[in-house]
Amino acid sequence: MAQGRFMLNRRSILKGLAGAAIGLPLLEAMGPKAYAAPLPKRLVIFFTPDGTIPGAWATGTENNFTLGPILEPLAAHKSDLLVLTGIKNEAAHHGPGDDHQRGMETMLTGTELQTGPDKGGCDTCPAAGFAGGPSVDQVIAQKIGKQNKLQSMEFGVSVHDSNSWSRMSFSGPGVPLSPVDNPKLAYTRIFGDFNADPAGAKRLAAERHLVLGSVLADAKKLQSKVSSADRAKIEQHLSSIDSINSHLDTMVQIGGDCSLPPAIGNIGDIYAEANHEAVGQLQMDLMVAAMACDITRVSSLQWTTSVGNTTFGQLGLSEGHHELSHHPTEDPVSQAALIKIDNFYAKQLAYLITKMKTIQEGSGTMFDNTAILWCNELAVGNAHSHDNMHYVLAGSCGGAFKTGRFLNFKGDHHNNLLLSLCHAMDVDLSSFGNPAYCTGVLPGLTG
Amino acid sequence: MAASTWQRWVWLPAVLLTGGAASCVGNLGDGAGVDASDPSKTPLVCDGVAIHPGDAPARRMTRFEYDNTVRDLLGDTTAPSSSFPADQVAGIFNNQADTLVVTQLLAEGYMNAAEAVAGNAVKQLGTLTGCDPKTSSEQACGAQFIESFGKRAFRRPLDADGRALLTDVFTKALAMWDYETAIRLVIETALQSPRFVFRVELGMPDPKSAGVVQLDDYEVASRLSYLLWGSLPDTELMAAADAHELSTSEQVSAQATRLLADPKARSVIENFHEQWLGLPKLDTLDKDTKAYPIFTPALKTTWRKETMAFVDDVILHGDGDLATLLSAPYTMMNAETAAFYGVKNGPTGSTFEHVDLDPKQRAGLLTQPSLLALNAHVDQTSPVHRGKFVRERLLCELISPPPPGLNIVPPPVDPNATTRERFSQHSDDIACSGCHNLMDPIGFGFEGYDAVGLYREKENGLTLDTSGEIKGSKDADGKFNGAVELADRLANSEEVRACVVTQWFNYGYGRTTTTEDKCTIQALQTTFAAANYDVKTLLIGLTQTDAFRYRKPVVAGQ
Repeated sequence: MAQGRFMLNRRSILKGLAGAAIGLPLLEAMGPKAYAAPLPKRLVIFFTPDGTIPGAWATGTENNFTLGPILEPLAAHKSDLLVLTGIKNEAAHHGPGDDHQRGMETMLTGTELQTGPDKGGCDTCPAAGFAGGPSVDQVIAQKIGKQNKLQSMEFGVSVHDSNSWSRMSFSGPGVPLSPVDNPKLAYTRIFGDFNADPAGAKRLAAERHLVLGSVLADAKKLQSKVSSADRAKIEQHLSSIDSINSHLDTMVQIGGDCSLPPAIGNIGDIYAEANHEAVGQLQMDLMVAAMACDITRVSSLQWTTSVGNTTFGQLGLSEGHHELSHHPTEDPVSQAALIKIDNFYAKQLAYLITKMKTIQEGSGTMFDNTAILWCNELAVGNAHSHDNMHYVLAGSCGGAFKTGRFLNFKGDHHNNLLLSLCHAMDVDLSSFGNPAYCTGVLPGLTG
Repeated sequence: MAASTWQRWVWLPAVLLTGGAASCVGNLGDGAGVDASDPSKTPLVCDGVAIHPGDAPARRMTRFEYDNTVRDLLGDTTAPSSSFPADQVAGIFNNQADTLVVTQLLAEGYMNAAEAVAGNAVKQLGTLTGCDPKTSSEQACGAQFIESFGKRAFRRPLDADGRALLTDVFTKALAMWDYETAIRLVIETALQSPRFVFRVELGMPDPKSAGVVQLDDYEVASRLSYLLWGSLPDTELMAAADAHELSTSEQVSAQATRLLADPKARSVIENFHEQWLGLPKLDTLDKDTKAYPIFTPALKTTWRKETMAFVDDVILHGDGDLATLLSAPYTMMNAETAAFYGVKNGPTGSTFEHVDLDPKQRAGLLTQPSLLALNAHVDQTSPVHRGKFVRERLLCELISPPPPGLNIVPPPVDPNATTRERFSQHSDDIACSGCHNLMDPIGFGFEGYDAVGLYREKENGLTLDTSGEIKGSKDADGKFNGAVELADRLANSEEVRACVVTQWFNYGYGRTTTTEDKCTIQALQTTFAAANYDVKTLLIGLTQTDAFRYRKPVVAGQ
């Protein structure tokens, strides 16, 4: 098989919560997971909403900079970050939708939205539907993730909604992928099969192969009778079934840093603001655990949605995030509040990075082989702007990025950043998204 | 948060809002027959002869429909769709055909649910199959089960392909494992097939007229049951289909009447109103308990149940009139609701009962606390949101969100001013007033209700001015004082009536209107008017239109 194969041809058993291992011996590898070279690369998209306060990010020059009050929680990881500013999301200036919709759905797709019934904020623009193309995480996942049990895993924190303001990942035009808000459901999705005894697991897989294979074969006959629009819908259904069917036998090697995380207890109301941080950290734990077991290599964590209006009572705030983001820049109270909110999110990103650094891989850690993109649907909230976008790119992605620098791209293209991510993840495209908005990779990221 | 001293927003001079109200407003599914995006199309002539069915895309089940369907198919009441990803919302509703796709996450949900549902079903194998494999044979019982279950699951008698699908799985499973497994896997297979998940229609082979075919009886049966029950056809409906007794409009109407009288119709009535009124947003609604100590998360559930009970009562137990829904001076209360309203000697149990309200204070949906609280901020009312609600949900006029570059923030709570006074910039500033004049003057009329929906006559000790005005509508313009007067105006507005028809079209048919639907819309509006705007009659009317009874022929691959 292709590079990166590291699963052994044996069934591995995890000790169930009840105790003794059964069947084949547990592969307790001594030390880190034995990946064949080259080590697998990971991509994480980390989304927070409503724009930011550019002045509070960083000051200084490219190689000699100081983290501002928003990024300060990332101080321990400063040499592993690229602070990116001055990027222009050209795609967000075009096509249907209002600024939040366009920001949200072009952020990872780099192309205009489809038309649809969601009335946007432009007098002459048609109303919007969902994204007009696949998102960068999915394009990458479709190239590198086929051998993983889950091609990608989308996590959410209080996303709740399912309209065109609340989706950023698309497997294709008009096909949004839903983040999973509930850590218990996420746990079941990723680790649900671990508790099966080997005979039971084999039986279940055989049953599923029979059922899914039969459904697929029959559905093709149905497809041949219907209109082309209906055929496309059924095709989408079938490709989803096919993806499940073809991964039924994907085995996961336990051992080293790959282990079943503890079952999730009672977490209360996952939509309560008081639980925001706890839910987010649970999701990040699951994300890292899934990656440690190589169940997936592409993931995202979406904190609420565009126009997200969390009231951060835990930070001492009493006004919603979206409402705060629309105060004038001159108002010191709301500016301080917004810095507090983004500082909180930076703290969460630091949590994720720290967690990834505990997973040994090769002569380094999982984090060394990862790229995390912290992104936002807007640059500045009160102006609904898409120019001067601010991002943090954390991790060198296996040496692809030269980190520890503060860069200002002076209006260079957002699509170019997406293309850079593809190349860093060994997906060799020449353009990303709408080619009119892509002139190549972002210069200077690779050093 | 400390009180800000600033009083006016910064107006970025680069932004100019030209034009008046016309540039703010789009129309939701304009039923006038002229597609706003292509006015050059010749409007249809509705002569009562030519048939214009419009489009009929295949419709994927929503979570709501899935749970109802497995309940009615196999008696499963576990509501398995709660672990499915939420249905995509397009516009207002989550059941729009062109938006609903099956992602891998959803397909996994279908798989897990099918396994759980089937696993439960085979615990009562004898009852499930009505066949004893020992007295008959496993093959015979299997074949019999496949025919009867397959017909119900796929909502039509099995064709050769459907039979082959289920028989193949049964035979192989019987050979590899055992009879119970084989039956179980037949169920799992059926529940994951596009034949179950999607409602696919091919219509009758012979055209009714040029470019129009009639739906076959089974397709009509499914349309009826999913429209009025959100579930699959029952035994009686399937029998009518078997006997080809679903082809005339009278036959369809008779079945529709029967379905509407069944308790299962209630869940559809509630599902529609939940979405139309925007109630899912209550899930993430929060209030400042310092400003509103009465607020708890449990109160949101109480509000929601009150509104649903009221809707049920008006439509299913009362006269069903739109005017009653919009303006009747009563609500439904249980003990929690009564405590919230501060009603003495009110209901004491969990069952909802009719409670009359002061007709000077309350009138139908518009003064339901659920809506008043939803369209308000954490610590203050929101005339903008309340006005926007009326504009968009009752007048079907969509307001654009604010253009970029403007600072959009409610003014801070000021103990020395009323809300109306604090929002004056919306009408003073040219940049704001074009769109805000369509919303704020309506919303000011709701100032008699605070941010948790309780009636008030003063704000911060100041006397309230609850005068309002509707501007720029088709037939509802004019001043009014307070929400009760507004409710009465809207209850008698043709524009509101037309809007309600449009909303039910969108929900009922799973799509928005186009020019081709002009005659269908007109027929619905006529039916609605003739019944004095009884919503039940409108629902029956939905089953009598060109759009419901016919479709364009399916040409494979086109």
